[in-house]
Amino acid sequence: MLTGANKLVSIQHSLQTKLTFSFIILILLIAGMTFIYTYGETKNALKASIRDELIEIAGSDSTQINGDQVAEIKAGDEGSQKYLAIRDELWKLRSRSTVTKNLYLFRVNNSNLEFIVDDLYGIDPDYAKTGESYDSPDHDLIIGAQSNATASNEFYTDKWGTFLSGYAPVTDSKGNVVAVLGVDMRADNVIARENFIGNTIYLILAISIIIAGCMIAFFSRTIIRDIKKLNASAEKISLGDMDVMVDVERKDEIGELAHSFSRMVTSLKIMMMHDDKKE
Amino acid sequence: MMSELSDRILTISLVYLGPAAKMFLERQTLAHMDKLKFEDITPSHLPELVKWINISGGLLIGAEKAKEFGEKIRSIS
Repeated sequence: MLTGANKLVSIQHSLQTKLTFSFIILILLIAGMTFIYTYGETKNALKASIRDELIEIAGSDSTQINGDQVAEIKAGDEGSQKYLAIRDELWKLRSRSTVTKNLYLFRVNNSNLEFIVDDLYGIDPDYAKTGESYDSPDHDLIIGAQSNATASNEFYTDKWGTFLSGYAPVTDSKGNVVAVLGVDMRADNVIARENFIGNTIYLILAISIIIAGCMIAFFSRTIIRDIKKLNASAEKISLGDMDVMVDVERKDEIGELAHSFSRMVTSLKIMMMHDDKKE
Repeated sequence: MMSELSDRILTISLVYLGPAAKMFLERQTLAHMDKLKFEDITPSHLPELVKWINISGGLLIGAEKAKEFGEKIRSIS
């Protein structure tokens, strides 16, 4: 009779415990590595796709802005008809997209960035005033955006929040670049998309782990059950009981072991009967 | 000296009965088939041998396996 402590030691040393724990650790390791890799790759792919989206939006919106009017706007023009016309155009463009948050125009003045029109005018008292210089973390990208549309490589934070932005050149009727259009997407939008993907991967992995765990538990249980049957038969024979039939029918290695064992038992029975007859 | 037939029977029997297969076959032929020596078995003896494999073998390895074993011996002829 096994005592409580002995039973615990027996469970600890059992093949089923070892197999189950090994598989669980293996599954967790694989699932963890898969999660880290997939999530990282998906995040990068998502960011790349959002950058492309921002570049496309900025590139397309910049062609809708009247560059000649933009070129005429100077410091202190806020509230003027020209300013309001451009700002209204920015509002219209913003309302066309569900992902963009703010639109604004810069002028590059001796490598310095100056705001021209901010679509926050009339909404937020903290809008960027015309001529106000802007020390952007994307400074070099914005300078480069005078020739080609581009977008932030990473999130950046300024006094208006944390964003990923797209930039594209605005030209006048003669084709001269007169401004750079900035299109902001709020970080929380992107983070929400990342979280959704992360949670989906997490859910898929959790379901896979549960299914794999159930399969392991089932297979290890049937294997151990048949090994226990073989063990019980061997124990009976070792104690002199030869009326043993090995009741294990499997097509795997355990089945082969059972067949070999069964053949050995049969042989022993025949030999013992032969000896009995001789006596 | 084993005949080719008895050799083939023994080869099949080893799979079911192990190293004591020859002992089993000798006992069946001697005890139930007019003291026939296993080495002298001929195709005409096979149905009788199959019958005793089913009876005696069934006690050792179970009726189902003994039937399978017997069918393999029968198919030799």
